[in-house]
Amino acid sequence: MATVTGDFNINAEVDVESIEATARKARTQSLVRLLRYTLLKLVALVVTVAIGVYITIFVANMGGEVDNIRMATIRENVALTATADPVFRAMATEERIAYINDRVELEAKRYGLDRPFILRSFEYLRDAMTLNLGYAQQLTSDSGSRMVRNIILERLPSTLVLFGTANLLLFFIALFAGLSLSRRYGSFADKAVLAMAPTSSAPPWFYGIFLILIFAALLGVLPFGGMVGAPPPDNPLDYALSLLQHMILPVSAWLLSAIFLTTYNWRTFFLIYASEDYVEMAKAKGLPDGMIERRYILRPTLPNIITSFALTLITLWTGAIITETVFNWPGIGQLYARAIGAFDTPVIVANVVIYAYLLALTVFLLDFIYALVDPRVRVGGGGPKQ
Amino acid sequence: MSKKSWALVALLVLIGSLMLVACTGGTETVVEVTRVVTETEVVEQEPEVVEVTRVVETDPEEVEVTRVVEVEVDPNAEEEASRTGGWLDTIVIVQEPDSNSAVARLEAGDLHMYADDIAGEAAIQAMESDAIQTRTQYGLFDELLFNLATCQDEAQFNPFVNQTIRVAMNYAIDRNYVAQELYNGMAVPKFTTIAEASADRARFAAEIRAIEAQNAYNLETAREIITAEMEAMGATLENDVWTFNGEPIVLQFLIRSEDTRLAIGGYIATQLEELGFTVERVERTSGELSPIWNAGDPTLCEWHLYTGAWSQTQIDRGSESAFEQYYTNRVLPWPLWALYAPVPELDEASRKIYNNDFASIEERTELIRTALTLSEEYATRNWITSRTTLVPFRNEVSVTTDLAAGVSGTALWSKTIRFADEVGGSMNIGLPSVFTEPWNPIAGSNWVFDQMVLRGISDLGIYTDPNTGVGILGRVERAEMTVREGYPMSVQSDWVTLAFEPEVVVPDDAWAGWDATNQVFLTAADVFTETQTALVKSTVYYPADLFSTVTWHDGSPMSVADFIIPMITAFDLGDPASAYYDEALVPGRDSFVASFKAVRIASTDPLVIETWTDVGALDAENAVQSWWPAAAYDFSDAAWHNMALMLRGEGNGGFAFTADKAAANEIEQTNLIAGPSLDVLAGELISATEESFIPYAPTLGEYITAEDAAARYTNLAEFARRYGHYMISTGPYFLSGVFPVEGQAVLTHYAAHPDLASRFAGFAAPASPVVEIDGPARVTIGEEAAFDVFVDVFDGPYPMDDIEAINYLVFDATGALVAQGAAEGVEDGVWQVVLGSDVTGALAEGSNRLDIVAVSKLVAIPTLASYEFVTAP
Repeated sequence: MATVTGDFNINAEVDVESIEATARKARTQSLVRLLRYTLLKLVALVVTVAIGVYITIFVANMGGEVDNIRMATIRENVALTATADPVFRAMATEERIAYINDRVELEAKRYGLDRPFILRSFEYLRDAMTLNLGYAQQLTSDSGSRMVRNIILERLPSTLVLFGTANLLLFFIALFAGLSLSRRYGSFADKAVLAMAPTSSAPPWFYGIFLILIFAALLGVLPFGGMVGAPPPDNPLDYALSLLQHMILPVSAWLLSAIFLTTYNWRTFFLIYASEDYVEMAKAKGLPDGMIERRYILRPTLPNIITSFALTLITLWTGAIITETVFNWPGIGQLYARAIGAFDTPVIVANVVIYAYLLALTVFLLDFIYALVDPRVRVGGGGPKQ
Repeated sequence: MSKKSWALVALLVLIGSLMLVACTGGTETVVEVTRVVTETEVVEQEPEVVEVTRVVETDPEEVEVTRVVEVEVDPNAEEEASRTGGWLDTIVIVQEPDSNSAVARLEAGDLHMYADDIAGEAAIQAMESDAIQTRTQYGLFDELLFNLATCQDEAQFNPFVNQTIRVAMNYAIDRNYVAQELYNGMAVPKFTTIAEASADRARFAAEIRAIEAQNAYNLETAREIITAEMEAMGATLENDVWTFNGEPIVLQFLIRSEDTRLAIGGYIATQLEELGFTVERVERTSGELSPIWNAGDPTLCEWHLYTGAWSQTQIDRGSESAFEQYYTNRVLPWPLWALYAPVPELDEASRKIYNNDFASIEERTELIRTALTLSEEYATRNWITSRTTLVPFRNEVSVTTDLAAGVSGTALWSKTIRFADEVGGSMNIGLPSVFTEPWNPIAGSNWVFDQMVLRGISDLGIYTDPNTGVGILGRVERAEMTVREGYPMSVQSDWVTLAFEPEVVVPDDAWAGWDATNQVFLTAADVFTETQTALVKSTVYYPADLFSTVTWHDGSPMSVADFIIPMITAFDLGDPASAYYDEALVPGRDSFVASFKAVRIASTDPLVIETWTDVGALDAENAVQSWWPAAAYDFSDAAWHNMALMLRGEGNGGFAFTADKAAANEIEQTNLIAGPSLDVLAGELISATEESFIPYAPTLGEYITAEDAAARYTNLAEFARRYGHYMISTGPYFLSGVFPVEGQAVLTHYAAHPDLASRFAGFAAPASPVVEIDGPARVTIGEEAAFDVFVDVFDGPYPMDDIEAINYLVFDATGALVAQGAAEGVEDGVWQVVLGSDVTGALAEGSNRLDIVAVSKLVAIPTLASYEFVTAP
């Protein structure tokens, strides 16, 4: 058994077994810690999602008040529809009332109003948590399907293509512009971005209206809205070109509304890192700008960039209600707005639970990604390595 | 540079070019004369170059000069005369939910028509645009609904339990202000229950005008009456605030927040406050307020007033519901309505009008007069305004619109829509929603937007005149109506003959029921133990060439089975013994059976169908039962073979016609045009083809052979392969493109359609009379005065034969009606009103008004005009 006393002796005899045992123990402990952390994290996230979804269910149904609204609406609609039928007039008064009551009962049953809301609320929760999205109560997909899965999936591609393009462009343009400006602190471009940053207080749809007025109504060079021209081209290439043409204004509106502020944010963020000692040292050593940006600024900020990117990606899921409406774009945002207006709980809950799961998964995975990209971070350790 | 400037420049360039061409090519040469063209000659050939002889008379010798000129020939003329189906080559329906955006797109030429009604800012923008024309439609009317219940809590005070106060509220509402200021002129004042777009609006114009004058705005009159009544009820006015038992009387005013009713509610609340009431404005949406006013117990007095509105989807021919629905408890089973207890005279008159229970038109007139007066006195509500909305389309577009239902509500829209000076072409039509819900004939989408597209691709046996609401000939050739004596049915058209008999007997061999187990019809002898009688018998005759000229969009010729299958489904689908039973269809089946007596195919070719029923109508044209498939099904057209696929899918649990059954079984609702249903339909088509499947074979097997079935399934398969859906009909366009996510539908010209495109050209625009009055500005009291009334249509005089009546009313300076009568026709477009010395003698000094009510036979809505004159000794 080797003893290390005082001076460092490279020829000292090492107890390999003991070290291996210690290492094994450390690995086991790490694994256990990792597993425990993972489990706790997953449980916490699932519970959080469940709480969030149930709150959504409760709020979307106004604590059960929607049942009263729906029942009254059914009574109103059934009666008014019946009165428009000449056959209804030929009935005796009692027959008319019985006819309306029968129809009301059937409709109420279809909406599940024959069972108490509190019971149904937990059924909604169970279905949502198990991603059993089921059937919508009122909405249909564009192609007429009542399956919530179809309703969402039909709108997903158009949302992804528009907001994916817009958000990715925004993210990367702002990121690199911010990085560049952080290296040109005080330049004209830097001041210009600073001056333009407040323009982001206006939302995309605000710019959208102006862009439509200028480029569609006045100049007539770009379409007012919609996804493709009328009629939709048969040829896939023409279809894609038409799609691109219809994306120009909404993407531009999206970029205009956020590009300056986002660039400014990144520029300020990078500015902090750009003034670190090790960056100054690198500069003093005469390293090229590109290398400094990549190795000395971008690399230590990777966790933040990845976080921002990941959240940007999952935000695509929600679409943008008003921007989609202004541009008549058939996206998830419009769908969500319609579902809320129609009190269509399964569709609302599906949107929320999928977003919640995506968010939870992102948060969960980001912990591991941080550890991979930043050696100072360890999973479940609660802080940097000692 | 503005569009006008550009247009001017273009015009100048064009004129310059023409002049240049004329100068360079106008050399006069003397050549042999080949053809002489006069100015009035109509050329209906291809464009050509002809030589024109001009005889130049010179003295002393005559020289014959021939000049080569180009004659403008209309290249469309031949196609215009011979084109069948629709005028256009393609119609693209584009989803555009925002009316303001739609108007901008119309101006830019991106859309040619917006097929929804517009109001507010969008309407103003459309009216101001040089590129857009608009067509007015009625259909929505506003009311102030009273809770007339006595409150359970005696401490609560409900002033509207008092009938006199309810009537007096009429004086507190300035309807002209609401129409002109709150609606920006997009509404007209409404004082009675008679709808603006109704035949009775013209019939009872004088009575309605008198009620308008009687209930005209006068806040002081309202205050006077209400004060007297409130004090009689025990309320006290303290510091200009009404109190009861020392507490302010607080009115809960439910105000709809989605539309102009928010402003109307605000205005009326202010008027009520002016009268001393304390008003709590509850501004919420339809869904939020419905549980309170509609479903709540009115005796709890949770509300006192509600800004209601009612819609009208077609021109009302008989006002059957006008009183029964709004003043009695027999139609709507809602808690407030349960409290309605009109006086016996109103109750009786309402019931008789609703059930057409009168022996003559004269009796009906008296009943309506009685009901009009008494309903105003009962005042369950105060009518406020009839909204007018606009259908906007570009100037180059010509299209039929319905006076009550706009363009989307008339089936004639696709039969008349065109570019005014062009045959063919592609038109973009905006709609707020496209493919809103699944399409199927039994319980598919009833959305007006979907129905508009469906009407666009469908034909009908009988259409509805969009200006009068009377049935007009479609595919039907003629009809005969036999009616039980005493029922007040009348006829206006020569395609229907009307006869009355003491009894309309149902023959024993007519089909009166359905055996769902054995899939055969039951005869009247099977169903009834005694001989049955019906209110009406309708016999409809289809043309002899129907089955050789009319084809479904997949090319299959129509057949008698297409008419019989809806007769079967009307019974079968709601029958528990059926393989396709659907609980949700039971109430509909029961209501059908309640009035239906029997049907008989009197002849299969030419097709003649007799129907016995207890459902009647005042107009014989509207009581004819055509059994045309698009009308026989409630929600869309269907041929027997695509219905067969739907039935198979239903029976196999692949999908369900109704949303109720679909939800209960967790399957999709049947959809002929898109979605998961298409896979089911495709699978059923393969199976049906293999089996040469004939639905309801024990019955339809007599009308369909295996070869017919095979041919039809082959045609449908080819159609589905080309166009990707199973929605076929027989109209002038077929559905060639379905783009649900993109929100677009493409309709393509159906060349095999048998009708000329010009068939319904006469309905392109409503022949509304335009009235102008001319006469003395000053009339001497006691002396005769004559006024000329000029009635025009489309910039020409209105033919006298097309005028039902030109009525006049005279109101004195106090607004009281002092005389009324009918103007005398002088010639086409000119009528005269002569006020005798007895009439002018009864007028006091001051300003008076002569109102003219012009009633056309071609348009249901009368035209009103007024003329002010002064009377002096």
